[in-house]
Amino acid sequence: MLELLLYGGVSSAIYALLAVGFTLIFGVARVFNLGHGSFYALGAYFTYAGQTYFKLPLLLSAAAAVALVAGIGVGMARAFATPMQRSVLAALMITLGFALLVEQILLLTFGSQARNVQNMIAGTVQIGAASISAQRLLTLAVGAGLIAALWLFIHKTRLGAAILAISQDREAAQYQGINTARIFTIVMALSAGLAAIAGILAGSFLTVQPDMGILPMVKAVSIVIVGGLGSIPGSIIAALLLGYGETAVAFLFSTRFTELVSLGAVLLVLSLRPAGLLGKRAAF
Amino acid sequence: MNRRSLAAIALAVTALAAVPLASKSDYLLGVLIVSSIFAVFAASWDFMSGQTGRENFGHALFIGAGAYSAAFLNLEFGLPPAATVPLGGVAALFFAVLIGLPTLRLSGPYFAVATLVAASIMERLTLVLWETTGGEEGLTGLSALARTSVARYYVALTFLAVTVGILVALARSRWGLILRAIRGDEAAAQAAGTNTTLHKMGALLVSAFAAGMAGAVYAHYQQSVGPHVFGVILTVTIITMAYVGGIGTTYGAIAGAFLLTIMTEGLRQFGEFRLLVYTLFLIAIIRFLPDGLLLPIFQRGRTP
Amino acid sequence: MSVLLEVSNLGKRFGGLVAVDSFAMTVMPQEIVGFLGPNGAGKTTLFNLLSGFIEPDQGRVVFDGVDLAGRRNHDIVNRGMARTFQLARPFQQLTVAENVAVACLCPRARRLDAGTPYMDRARALLDQVGLGGRADDPVEILPYGDLRRLEIARALATRPRLMLFDEPFAGLAESEIQPLAELIRALHRDGLTILIIEHRLRIFMQLVRRIIAIDFGRIIAEGAPEQVVNDPRVVEAYLGKGGSPDAVA
Repeated sequence: MLELLLYGGVSSAIYALLAVGFTLIFGVARVFNLGHGSFYALGAYFTYAGQTYFKLPLLLSAAAAVALVAGIGVGMARAFATPMQRSVLAALMITLGFALLVEQILLLTFGSQARNVQNMIAGTVQIGAASISAQRLLTLAVGAGLIAALWLFIHKTRLGAAILAISQDREAAQYQGINTARIFTIVMALSAGLAAIAGILAGSFLTVQPDMGILPMVKAVSIVIVGGLGSIPGSIIAALLLGYGETAVAFLFSTRFTELVSLGAVLLVLSLRPAGLLGKRAAF
Repeated sequence: MNRRSLAAIALAVTALAAVPLASKSDYLLGVLIVSSIFAVFAASWDFMSGQTGRENFGHALFIGAGAYSAAFLNLEFGLPPAATVPLGGVAALFFAVLIGLPTLRLSGPYFAVATLVAASIMERLTLVLWETTGGEEGLTGLSALARTSVARYYVALTFLAVTVGILVALARSRWGLILRAIRGDEAAAQAAGTNTTLHKMGALLVSAFAAGMAGAVYAHYQQSVGPHVFGVILTVTIITMAYVGGIGTTYGAIAGAFLLTIMTEGLRQFGEFRLLVYTLFLIAIIRFLPDGLLLPIFQRGRTP
Repeated sequence: MSVLLEVSNLGKRFGGLVAVDSFAMTVMPQEIVGFLGPNGAGKTTLFNLLSGFIEPDQGRVVFDGVDLAGRRNHDIVNRGMARTFQLARPFQQLTVAENVAVACLCPRARRLDAGTPYMDRARALLDQVGLGGRADDPVEILPYGDLRRLEIARALATRPRLMLFDEPFAGLAESEIQPLAELIRALHRDGLTILIIEHRLRIFMQLVRRIIAIDFGRIIAEGAPEQVVNDPRVVEAYLGKGGSPDAVA
């Protein structure tokens, strides 16, 4: 039972890091960034490369990786901002194309075999009757901490207020003099960074493969739909639901059916309450 | 349709039908068979997404459903392609209803996203349930479409002609007009008394059925299936083909399919870089040619 | 003569804002009723509620004896209540005739016009609104005034008994106003019951027989045109929002 609590928490933390960034991008640009999983994958791979090829210490590799991925997020924002705003199809196609591009580049550069990022903390921790790897515990702690920090950022800073304003009413925000293009770039960098951190932490106990980004992206999309488009608390709650839901299914039935949880949740929400748990409207 | 288009189509069909008489190359026939199958993939995608404007981002869901169903029915029960192909279409219908029912009545990206999610999850499931589906290697040993490669060629060509014929007839019918009105402005279509959700569902069923059948044909041509038939790469490839040819014109999707399949063959020399080049090409098209590649060229020959 | 439309206790709120408040009215067949009120008074919301584009929180909309409240918009159209939009919404990438033809294919029109081929019917409607010559043009090249006429033709194609016009004269040039008004009068003579929202008072007063004035989602005055327009509450509603009704004409 305690193990379920802990392991579920780890999954939820990773999902939350992915989903919150994804929902921020949607809130600010009304775009589903289907390339979000690429940031996750690149975070893991850059760290791996830093350690393995450049012989950098782990934390330095990780920090550099996060910075690099954030930079790529900025680049993507700049290069694709115009076509992304043009039509839903164009935005979905371009971001999806980006995801595939990254996957191909990773495949060609690193090959298809599974790798791992080194653990930041080694060993196992015993909590009551449950034992959990220290790395997983670290992931849970860092994830929760970052989400809390992000929450404070959104609600206590001017930049955060600007982001909220744009999410609620883009035009009104522009009238108030908020530079939406700049905020979009910042949000992309922030989201990319969060996804990269999730990839780095998870990359030590989950496999690092060129296509590792697709499923996290699908999960992020599912979470955001369940939680409500553009709602950060919604994403967090939905991430918890999904993380614990999958872990429960894995514990009680089999790890085979975990994927059905997200699909089932999405179809259920769209049938009963399309706006999502905390979403305001059922559409753009 | 004007006389010039009609002549062009007649020419293309005759040329395709005559290929085995002019060439003995199995390789060429193979490329054209794959092109034909992908043409149905693309045309069926375009029937939904091009006509109604509701983009399907998981078209591979229907293709995979058809392919794997055909594989099971063929390997477990010994059903021949003549039976598995239509049954593959039926299997795809099941998924169309499952995904379409909750999502088509909503505006916004829900349909696109739900199809993406469903296809990805199905791909995962085929890997996870490897005892039944053969996992990453998939299933092999399916019956062939026909005994000789020339016969297979004509089977594929006939399948293409019949399926596309039906899709075009539907697109040019009153129903097609209603679907395109939904694409034009869904709320206005509702104000004109159209039950848009019902019609979208109908279009999805047609699209899924055609794709499911084509998936089964593909499985029998390759004589194997694998998780890639549910994959995002397949869906993106199909969308690219329709995009390049011109969304909303069924013939555009077909032309795009032939063009890109042949181009992919031409890229074989790039070896591993093939998919990379392909993806770059896709991104470039979307970024710089929003109306597609072929449609503007084609339209320049017509009066505005 | 039986009542065509009976609205009772109709209400809608958006979050904390009450858009329409316990609205009630009765419309007899072949009336032309006008709706007046400052911007944000709730007139378009009212039309959206009646035509099924928004779901009411409460209330009944009894049309021809059947309560349509909460039904979907295309359902309501097929019962005989049609509407036009404030901003013209043509079907892109279709011709003018095709735009109308789609409406001719709705279940109600197919039922009531069973004998006529739908394209013929579409062209006839275009002639009726004065767009006959442009039937085969792509809809994208139509000027704004013609788009409004197209809207009307499309709504008429659904064979309505009651038509809701939402600011039909907005954005029109002076020269286009009288022809459109004449068309509306002709439709009325042919038996159509009409509800109309409009800010351009001069033409509004010429068309309508009864006015309902609305502010804050509530009726503030109702009756003959001259009476309502001069009602102190109505004048105050406009003055309070920075102008008089005349100023908007």
